[in-house]
Amino acid sequence: MSEVKQERKPEEFAGREYQAGFITDIESDTLPPGLNEDVVRHISAKKNEPEWLLNWRLEAFRHWQTMTEPHWPNVSYTPTDYQSISYYSAPKSQADGPKSLDEVDPKLLETYAKLGIPLREQEFLAGVAVDAVFDSVSVATTFKGKLKDVGVIFCPISEAVRDYPELVQQYLGTVVPTGDNFFAALNSAVFTDGSFVFIPKGVRCPMELSTYFRINALNTGQFERTLIIAEEGSYVSYLEGCTAPQRDENQLHAAVVELVALDDAQIKYSTVQNWYPGDEDGLGGIYNFVTKRADCRGARSKVSWTQVETGSAITWKYPSCVLRGDDSVGEFYSVALTKMHQQADTGTKMIHIGKNTRSTIVSKGIAAGFGNQSYRGLVKIGKSAEGARNYTQCDSLLIGDKCGAHTFPYVEVKNPTATMEHEATTSKIGEEQLFYCKSRGISEEDAVNMIVNGFCKDVFNELPMEFAVEANRLMEVSLEGAVG
Amino acid sequence: MSASLQQIRHAAWQAFEAAGLPTTRDEDWKYTDLSRMQALLGDQWWQLPAADAAVDAASFAIPGLDAYRLLFVNGHFDAAASNLPAAIRVTSLATLIQDEPAKAMELIANQPDALLNSSIVAANSALATDGACICVPENTKLDKPLYILYVNSGGTTHLRTGIDIGKQASVEVIEHFAGSDVSTGVTTAVTAIRLRDGAHIEHSRLQMEAAKQCHLGRVEVNQQRDSSYTLHATELGGIISRADVVSRLQEPGASCNLNGLFVATNRQHMDHHTRIDHNAPHCISRENYRAVLDGRSHGVFNGKIVVAKGAVKTDSAQQNANLLLSPHAEIDTKPELEIYNDDVKCAHGVTVGQLDKNQLFYLKSRGLSGDEAKQMLTFAFADEILARMGNQSVRRFVEKEAFAKLPNITDLEEMLG
Repeated sequence: MSEVKQERKPEEFAGREYQAGFITDIESDTLPPGLNEDVVRHISAKKNEPEWLLNWRLEAFRHWQTMTEPHWPNVSYTPTDYQSISYYSAPKSQADGPKSLDEVDPKLLETYAKLGIPLREQEFLAGVAVDAVFDSVSVATTFKGKLKDVGVIFCPISEAVRDYPELVQQYLGTVVPTGDNFFAALNSAVFTDGSFVFIPKGVRCPMELSTYFRINALNTGQFERTLIIAEEGSYVSYLEGCTAPQRDENQLHAAVVELVALDDAQIKYSTVQNWYPGDEDGLGGIYNFVTKRADCRGARSKVSWTQVETGSAITWKYPSCVLRGDDSVGEFYSVALTKMHQQADTGTKMIHIGKNTRSTIVSKGIAAGFGNQSYRGLVKIGKSAEGARNYTQCDSLLIGDKCGAHTFPYVEVKNPTATMEHEATTSKIGEEQLFYCKSRGISEEDAVNMIVNGFCKDVFNELPMEFAVEANRLMEVSLEGAVG
Repeated sequence: MSASLQQIRHAAWQAFEAAGLPTTRDEDWKYTDLSRMQALLGDQWWQLPAADAAVDAASFAIPGLDAYRLLFVNGHFDAAASNLPAAIRVTSLATLIQDEPAKAMELIANQPDALLNSSIVAANSALATDGACICVPENTKLDKPLYILYVNSGGTTHLRTGIDIGKQASVEVIEHFAGSDVSTGVTTAVTAIRLRDGAHIEHSRLQMEAAKQCHLGRVEVNQQRDSSYTLHATELGGIISRADVVSRLQEPGASCNLNGLFVATNRQHMDHHTRIDHNAPHCISRENYRAVLDGRSHGVFNGKIVVAKGAVKTDSAQQNANLLLSPHAEIDTKPELEIYNDDVKCAHGVTVGQLDKNQLFYLKSRGLSGDEAKQMLTFAFADEILARMGNQSVRRFVEKEAFAKLPNITDLEEMLG
């Protein structure tokens, strides 16, 4: 490996140019930068929101004003000036209200085409319904009819507020309360749009639901709000993927995702995150500060988080499960890659409350270049969690001698019948493994890719098919130039 | 006392007064609430008087231990009851401050910044009355262990021990904290150890304070090239206890081996924080901590391993296992790795659980009663740590004291065979 190290050049860690880096030129209806109660009222008015939601937002905003930004994670960044962000930006053509893909602004369609995920292709080939969020307003929703037949609601949350206000009011903010944390409070006050999914009793959602997020207009912070409710005995698999145009200024992304699983319900939430990571000097890039939490309210419910995090300058999130129902199950599978000057502080929280609750955590971290990443996780087994079970494995792979990998697992156990195991290892790519591959005529770069893919396999296996392919490709692209 | 020592003490006191006791909002004290200690002992916890009752120090000593002995009663050296080796220099801190203040400074304040970084250490720096000062010259191997027995009859004592081990020298040190149950107080004990090239120390630290005593301890180890440090930490006593062990592997080839066992019952609170800094290449660290928790006890373990940028070929493994015997016991554990280097081998593991039903069943099927089976498995769990002790007298003593605390362990003699 020492020989390999000499060949490695830090400049190369930059990887290839960010492929999805382009800005689509669409007129935006954008609020001037700044944040005050008027802005919150303005957003609410723009969305024609009912009184209760405005009050809810205002309450969140007032609470947010009393909070201070937390600084405990193991990352460093220039603080965000919340008054320099514009909190609303909607594509102009929204006013016309496109009713089908044909009516959608062709430039938008072009954007998707550049990303290699044209809506129509997906519609026909993949059988996936896509609720694409372009900046802050959803512009196209497909397969609505088909979903409607089985009673599944899949729409922008702004639409849900209009069409299903009682559902939204019943569940919004019950998993992540408005005052939960600094960024969740901010999101609650100014969220512009996001996805809403409702799976009624006993329904198995006939297709995988997918949202592609794009951050577009300059200086627009993105505050997505996602709410997924799975009623008794239902099942849904939800996919979320992200890319963003290249630019220099840091952008804050503070989304909130709430999942509610009632008795026997299952939710599978998969994320591939490839936002702009900043340039090779660590300039620019997205701040990805997201609150994701699932509430396994019902008995025997199950929530599974799978994430592949390769983008963003800073990733700071802990998709969590509150295992309230007896026999409920929480899972967390994560691959995080930090290269160049990327930083990640990510992990999960598993809060065991119900009896015989089980959780599995598999976290794989890869650090290259000047990348720094931390696994931070909490496994909390409460007094009432009789027979709870947790298995945690977090492995880190280091490529290069300037990166860092850290592990901060918190384990709190208050019940003696609980069984919990935690394992972590940190190492570099084995010299023997590399040598073996090379002796079989495989180039060093391919060998590293193979080994990294093998290292991540436990997690990739959890991804839906389309994503698994994309994830593999992402890893390869991201690691290009990181070795030899 | 020289002016500079006085200045250090003064600065330390100011640091303590400014910082106050750490609160649960400090990440390092998240699970240990010292306001409970303050509630028990009052604001003047740092200067509580000991009870007048005479202490029979001999009754606390480890039976059958063949060792040089240093006895400290209520924070003061008892020369008459001590038995010092001739081959090496052993004095009490109070004497050293009188005779050789410069040397005392060196022993105590060889890491002044680090020693001021916690307000408890600051209090100790300001108020330490006495302690052992041990200098082992080069190429010396002490023929018998050094047994340091600290006995108190309640009250607050501040102890400061400095150990400096010369090149290729080797020594075994046993620190034993004990007390009688007459009144309450706090023991703060800071032990600073310096290991020079190739030096070795086997360090046993037995915290067996009286039931109502609080114990706040810290061990700081600085290791030079090829030195090795082995710790056997045992926590059995006290109502609230906290021990910090910080080991810095400063030069290549150094190794450190931390073993710890805590057995907590009733309302005992035991907190163990360890930190190993790999600051140089080719260092090895091993860490094994176990906790047995019964009653309404609360155990905390935090093990941090930091591998610095240049510390290539680091080999580090950490294991923490916890056994909960009661539905009201709680364990909070956090094994941390902070690694800034790719050429390392680091692993850590944690388990929390109860006695294995299959193992219990197996033993019962061999004719043991349920209680006996439980005893045997609990003993086996804890003894895996104690079995690492080189000194058999100490090991037998700790085994007895540890298992005397747990209910239903009656036939211990038989079990120890």
